Amino acid sequence: MTVLELDGVDAGYGDVQVLDSLSMALDTDEIICLIGPNGAGKSTVLKTVFGLLEPWAGSVRFRGEEIGGLAPETIVREGIGYVPQTENVFGSLTIEENLRMGGVARDDDLESVIDGLYDRFPVLDEKRRAKAATLSGGQRQLLAFARALMMEPEVLLIDEPSAGLAPNTADDVFADVRAVNEGGTAILMVEQNAHKGLDISDRGYVLDQGTVAYDGDADALLDNPEVSRLYLGG
Amino acid sequence: MALLELLANGLVFSSIIVLASIGLSLVYSIADFANFAHGDTMAVGAYAALLAFGVIGGVGPTVLALPVGFFLSLAVGGAVAALVAVITHVLVYEPLEVDSIGLLITSIGVAFVYRAIIQLRFGSNPVEFGIPLQRPIDALVPLGIRITVHEIAIVASAAILVVGLHLLLQYTDLGRKMRATADNPSLARVAGIRTRRIEWWTWIIGAGLAGVGGGFLGLYNQLSPRMGFDILLVVFAAVILGGIGSVYGAMAGGLLIGVINQLMPAISNVAVALPLVPNVGPAYADTVAFLIMVAVLLVRPSGIAGGETT
Repeated sequence: MTVLELDGVDAGYGDVQVLDSLSMALDTDEIICLIGPNGAGKSTVLKTVFGLLEPWAGSVRFRGEEIGGLAPETIVREGIGYVPQTENVFGSLTIEENLRMGGVARDDDLESVIDGLYDRFPVLDEKRRAKAATLSGGQRQLLAFARALMMEPEVLLIDEPSAGLAPNTADDVFADVRAVNEGGTAILMVEQNAHKGLDISDRGYVLDQGTVAYDGDADALLDNPEVSRLYLGG
Repeated sequence: MALLELLANGLVFSSIIVLASIGLSLVYSIADFANFAHGDTMAVGAYAALLAFGVIGGVGPTVLALPVGFFLSLAVGGAVAALVAVITHVLVYEPLEVDSIGLLITSIGVAFVYRAIIQLRFGSNPVEFGIPLQRPIDALVPLGIRITVHEIAIVASAAILVVGLHLLLQYTDLGRKMRATADNPSLARVAGIRTRRIEWWTWIIGAGLAGVGGGFLGLYNQLSPRMGFDILLVVFAAVILGGIGSVYGAMAGGLLIGVINQLMPAISNVAVALPLVPNVGPAYADTVAFLIMVAVLLVRPSGIAGGETT
């Protein structure tokens, strides 16, 4: 069942158009990886869905309802989470405070939600009183996921989870992405490391110049000679 | 003059500087500009307290040789300063689509407006609360400390407000949201924090403390339309010394700059003993405070709190 849908979306920054009549759909429980060259508009897709950019044209629908142009504070309450690529934790706050900030839009008791996340990600439990700035790159990424999961979103948008990480750490983070998905959250992910990104994904979209060049099952994209030659570096 | 007395005086002056520094740093950390109207916000608070004191006057029993009515008047002064700051934020700063330099220059204009309004209503001559001056506490005079009960009231009130702010920032939901928003405003929005409300609260708390500080400055010296603007540079020195944007840095910087400022006579005595140093009198207190600020920044470019936010 489709949970998130973009239909003929144009968007951009200032006068510069980045997305050009882009359409895609995310089903419940799946991981989709967006790949493509720099400047293709991958991160712009996430920002447009999350209300950080307003679509110029077209429609963004979540559970069938239009959300295009809503503010991020509103969208996060609707059930979509977003993990930015950089500076995605509050460095001067503790782990526990970061999680609390992830749950500001909840009315119920945060403690049980926080405890649930500590159970899922024990490394955060060990460091709950530490400032987020003291975490390693991989732990930071995990905290960023956990912060977004405080709202128990149906859809999580993740921008380049492996950016700036050592290869081993990146593998751990991809495993964390899978773990988040297995918890019942659909994931729309942008990833520079197309091979590894597609490896853990169900489906993929190849973006080029703001529009979908190829799409299909992740395995099929990995095996597609055209995609491989043009976008996966041979 | 005895060193102890200068230190004691320094602590009193510091208390006022600390109250002013916190607001300047808070607003910088969240609204992202150096607010040159902050000194005049202190004056707004002081004159509002004066008006309130004229109405409620000597109501209630006396605490530390000050009627409870005076403390109530200070609260009114803080509230009026907060209200004026929020209104200014909504009417002037928020609608302006300019960068932080544009906002800084705008705030200079706002400062002139505040001052002009005060001057129209109260004139440019200094005025006073009319509370009888106190003699130094007899018991402390043999120790070389000449400090009045009023000055103890200033230090104690500032300490209570600082501790209160600390508890608010560390242990309340609003405080955590303020720290998160100061740390990373775009991530705060992503997390679902309604940052616009947090900005309002920042202005309310920062200007409220400045207003109360202005009231104390009026008690310590006199009230004049320029009272806040005249100490604004010292407040800036304190905030920059502490690490601009950090509330705890502002507290430390305010304490240090205030004490240095009042220690000037002692510093100049030492300086005169050295060869080739001219006799710098107390008139140079601000200059020396700035020299020390520059010296600290050469060693720690991001201030005492070293880039920590709030």
